[in-house]
Amino acid sequence: MEYALLQAVFLPLLLSPVAYIIGRKLGPAPAMWFTFGILLYTTILIINAALSGTVEEHYPWTEQFGEFGFMLDGLASPFAIMIYVLSTILAIYSKPYMLHKFHQQFEEEQKMKVSENGQTSIVESTALSNYVNAKSGLYFALYLVFAMGMLGTVLSTNLIEFYIFFEVMLIPGFFLVALWGDGPRRKIGLMFLFWTHAGAVVLLLGFLMIGLTLGSFDFADIKESEIPADIVMYAAIAIAIGLGVKLAVFMYHIWLPYVHGAAPTPISALLSPAMIGIGAYGIFRLIVEFLPATFSELAIWFHIWGLVTMIYGGAMALMQDDLKRFLAYSSISQMGYLLFGIGSMSSLGLAGAEMMYVTHAIGKGILFMMAGIIIVRVGTRSFSKLGGLAGKMPITAVCAVIGALTIMGVPPTAGFMGEWIMFYGALETAISEGSTVRAVAFGLGLVATALTMSYMLWMLKRVFFGKLPENLQHVKEGSWYMTIPMMILAGFSIVVGIYPDIFLKTIIPYMNGVMGV
Amino acid sequence: MAIEILGMSVEVSAAWLIWILPFAAALIMPGIGKLSKKSTGYVAVGFALMSAVSAVSLIPVALEGHEVHSQIMWIEALGLKAGVLADPLSIIMANVVGWISFLIMIYSTGYMKGDKDITRFWFWMLFFIGSMQLIVLSDNLLQVFFGWEGVGLASYALISFWYRDKKKDHVGVEGRTVLGMLDYYSPTHAGMKAFIMTKVGDVMMIAGMLLIFLFAGTFGFKELVEDTAWATTMSAQGLLVPAFLLLFGGAMGKSAQFPLNEWLLEAMTGPTAVSALIHAATMVKAGVFLVARIGPIVFALGAAGIMADQFFEIIAWVGGITALLLATQGMVNPEIKKVLAYSTGSQIGYMMMALGVAGLSHQYVDGYTAGFFHLISHAMFKASLFMAAGFLLHSIGSRFMTDMGGLRKQMKKTYAFMWAAGLGLMGAPFITTGFWSKDAIFASVYESGSEWALPLYIIAVVTAVITAFYTTRMIGMVFFGKKSKHIQKMEEEGHHIHDAPLSMWIPYGILAVLTIGIGLIGLSAEEGLHHMFTEYLEDSFGIHSAHVAAEASILPGFLQGLNPVALGSSLVAFATGIGLGYIFYIGRWVDPVKFVNSNIVFYAIHKFLLNRWYLNAIVYWCFVTTPLWLARWVSRYFEKKVIDYGMNDGVQKAVGWSAKVIQGTQTGVSQSYLFVFGAGLLFVVLILLI
Repeated sequence: MEYALLQAVFLPLLLSPVAYIIGRKLGPAPAMWFTFGILLYTTILIINAALSGTVEEHYPWTEQFGEFGFMLDGLASPFAIMIYVLSTILAIYSKPYMLHKFHQQFEEEQKMKVSENGQTSIVESTALSNYVNAKSGLYFALYLVFAMGMLGTVLSTNLIEFYIFFEVMLIPGFFLVALWGDGPRRKIGLMFLFWTHAGAVVLLLGFLMIGLTLGSFDFADIKESEIPADIVMYAAIAIAIGLGVKLAVFMYHIWLPYVHGAAPTPISALLSPAMIGIGAYGIFRLIVEFLPATFSELAIWFHIWGLVTMIYGGAMALMQDDLKRFLAYSSISQMGYLLFGIGSMSSLGLAGAEMMYVTHAIGKGILFMMAGIIIVRVGTRSFSKLGGLAGKMPITAVCAVIGALTIMGVPPTAGFMGEWIMFYGALETAISEGSTVRAVAFGLGLVATALTMSYMLWMLKRVFFGKLPENLQHVKEGSWYMTIPMMILAGFSIVVGIYPDIFLKTIIPYMNGVMGV
Repeated sequence: MAIEILGMSVEVSAAWLIWILPFAAALIMPGIGKLSKKSTGYVAVGFALMSAVSAVSLIPVALEGHEVHSQIMWIEALGLKAGVLADPLSIIMANVVGWISFLIMIYSTGYMKGDKDITRFWFWMLFFIGSMQLIVLSDNLLQVFFGWEGVGLASYALISFWYRDKKKDHVGVEGRTVLGMLDYYSPTHAGMKAFIMTKVGDVMMIAGMLLIFLFAGTFGFKELVEDTAWATTMSAQGLLVPAFLLLFGGAMGKSAQFPLNEWLLEAMTGPTAVSALIHAATMVKAGVFLVARIGPIVFALGAAGIMADQFFEIIAWVGGITALLLATQGMVNPEIKKVLAYSTGSQIGYMMMALGVAGLSHQYVDGYTAGFFHLISHAMFKASLFMAAGFLLHSIGSRFMTDMGGLRKQMKKTYAFMWAAGLGLMGAPFITTGFWSKDAIFASVYESGSEWALPLYIIAVVTAVITAFYTTRMIGMVFFGKKSKHIQKMEEEGHHIHDAPLSMWIPYGILAVLTIGIGLIGLSAEEGLHHMFTEYLEDSFGIHSAHVAAEASILPGFLQGLNPVALGSSLVAFATGIGLGYIFYIGRWVDPVKFVNSNIVFYAIHKFLLNRWYLNAIVYWCFVTTPLWLARWVSRYFEKKVIDYGMNDGVQKAVGWSAKVIQGTQTGVSQSYLFVFGAGLLFVVLILLI
């Protein structure tokens, strides 16, 4: 289909004002179904394009930057598919969660008004519904822009285009957190903006070094051999750091626990599984593919950095009492796996790392949705106040267990398929290079999976098992809007776990091509 | 031979169905539970039966010494195939697993009657059986690993089946601590412990698998035997033995071998039917089966001049240590299920010892058969004992043997069957399967000619004495002596203590009778197995076994062919163990409590054993308490201070401050972010202008 990728990226952007108007005039449900419809259509476009192999589209742009293009190849398609699949099903999930949030905020604002006026005013139901309509219109409009920003990044074929989309996803992200987050949401929204933007600026520096020396920003024109060796190294480091902030690897993970903790849960469920992994996409595309010689020098550092992140994130996850912060640290740890796989420098290790992105997206998506249901139904996120919920919300509990198993990498869930391939890659390089450091890293990496298992099981125990606290006797299962999306992902996890070819068939040939196997 | 199902011959489809049927039943179980809770049991038992029947239909294949091997494409991107391999080893194992599981499923219909989470119970039981059969029938390591993690997952779910953590479902004595660690576990804790501890083994296993895959390029058992070039390369790099030892690490975790043994005791928090399944048919047997799978592959390399003696030495020693370690702990524990659990670990140690010693001797098949024969006989008597113990728990309402006593009159059937199965565990001479299989292990260790033969032999015999002792102790404490206060109280309150209902005693009755029944023809059964494995090892692995001419020995006719030393030690061990047990617990000539407290040495030994050699507490200190303390320290001083306060706040403040300086305004921190953002945009604009 012509213009498929162009449509997939820009349709959500162009129609986002419509979503706003629909929300305003007709209310949250039509806005949600409208958003869902657009995203479903564009997801089908993407999947359809991915099935037909590599798709490229090029459009004229400015003189200085070159072409404005989209490319869906073996690397981009798993990312693109996961981003839009998650966005689509989370659109449905958003409705009940955000309504809950809007109602809460409305009440808060009413209280503030009341205390300002010093007199009680009767809250009219029309005021509430107007408020909710306006907010949900805005929410779904921002949601669409956020989704398209992520997709645009992984499809772009030009450094400047990449950077622009990279920033585009940031702005709606900021508003979503700042408007409807928990806790000190404006401060945290700004923190999110500050750190990821700072990362983006460093990334841009790297891009400029490359682009200005080559005289072109098009991916097609990037040839490592034509860039002076010292510049290319600095550029690669700048890019790695810039993307490292997005990926929230150790030392650059500062923002992530706050933002994931505070963001409205459907957005956390997009941020963590879909967005932060885009950092890994950037490393694949920009460093592994375009700067292979520099990559081979940096690989061992990625490997170690990834390992440290894995263990550090896992250890910190053990220490959390807040469910969403816990999931945030778990994401940090999982991003460490991705970086570890990238550092393995073997075709299968890289393929495993990309597969980990997919499986992490599935698993963490489920777990964040679970967190959202608990927030809506129970009203607390603190482990110390939860427990024994399995009997009260069986569907959520079953899905959460599947999600946790996916993150732990236990077959038959999808997680295992990414994990063993990635560790195989790490071992392969360790043996072929005879490197002790890599062999030790491989061993410690495997031990880290036991750590992952410990914190995940402990979380399940504290939330779903054990004694049910007195005040939770009347908790109900989440609404179907929330549980069905979660069940879809849980089912998908098992399908991918048993039949990983769905993704591996595109990933492995690409990685083999890049690594020249 | 022309009958075909979906283009596959009957044998091939049977081999697939053995493990697919339980999974399929598990999948439909939630739906059936919605329709009618009552029918879930029938469906579950029915599918377990069909799976077992499929296994039986393959027995002719095993008897003829043939095999069924069928493959389909699985992960095309990596060129990996999935398949089933039904050779004599896996067919026998599939039958043991299938039939024991079937009986346990029947027992469960009685044991779990009225539980409101019954659907979940059946789902996981079937998942458990399916995973185990998957391990047994897989033709490659990757697929085995699916089953391997499947049994881990099922055990986690079933051990913490009663996830509400009620007091009666705990194990251990409330409030008791060892080295500051609580020795009292809730079901959810126990489930986690089992899953994580076996995961440590799994981590080793996957490392071993990947190492082998790296050099061999295949996970397939058949392929590994066909072309052994990989082994030559690995051996030259010194990686062969480590790789297989890592695989054995997985077996150590699943089979609860030292030092990964501690989870097995807490696994008693699950429903007793689950304990029976874990101990007799699935899970712990998985490790032994894996060693039986990979052992011949390694041993066959010896023909190509690649020696891997350390591999077998370590297996034998791990088995020996575990056998003794857990048997000693079993002597003192007051909880009936825990005694049985210790006993399982110890008996699995025997099996490992035999499989290890086999690789050190020239007659590989002797130890191999002995280990496997013991697996079969253990499966029968241990399943029976567990189910009987489950009934005791069920009717007495206590897990402590001190709350039982004097029950032999009221529970005649259970009493008789526990004696029968218990005699199997003790190795009562000439009439029980346990005797023949244990004797075969003694003989294979004794005759192996390995440098470690003597110490291992002594361990084996000492363990046999202890086994006979603790089994007698268990039966004595439950059925002999006076009724405990607990029972007296129950009777005063009007509870009528009666024997087991039909659905419960039939399964353990059958197994108890089989223990004796097969025991009577034990020697010929063993010879049949020996013959089958000799051919199997010859055909599949090229391991030749020399025909040893039966020496004329001093033994009477029907015992010809047995090793007189092994036989003698077996008899002495049995007599000593049961005699000691009789003195303390059946005849009650000496009060064991007074005896232990009579002097400081006995007291210290008793305490040492009761505290599990302090190993459990040490494991907790090293791998739970200390890491958590470290993580807390890092969280408090690094994450909060350096990262959060230093970097996050610090950098933001610095930027805010510089923003104020540059802009000359003081509108607050938030503007600093906008400033940076603006700077970035400005940057873009500047480039646009270039």
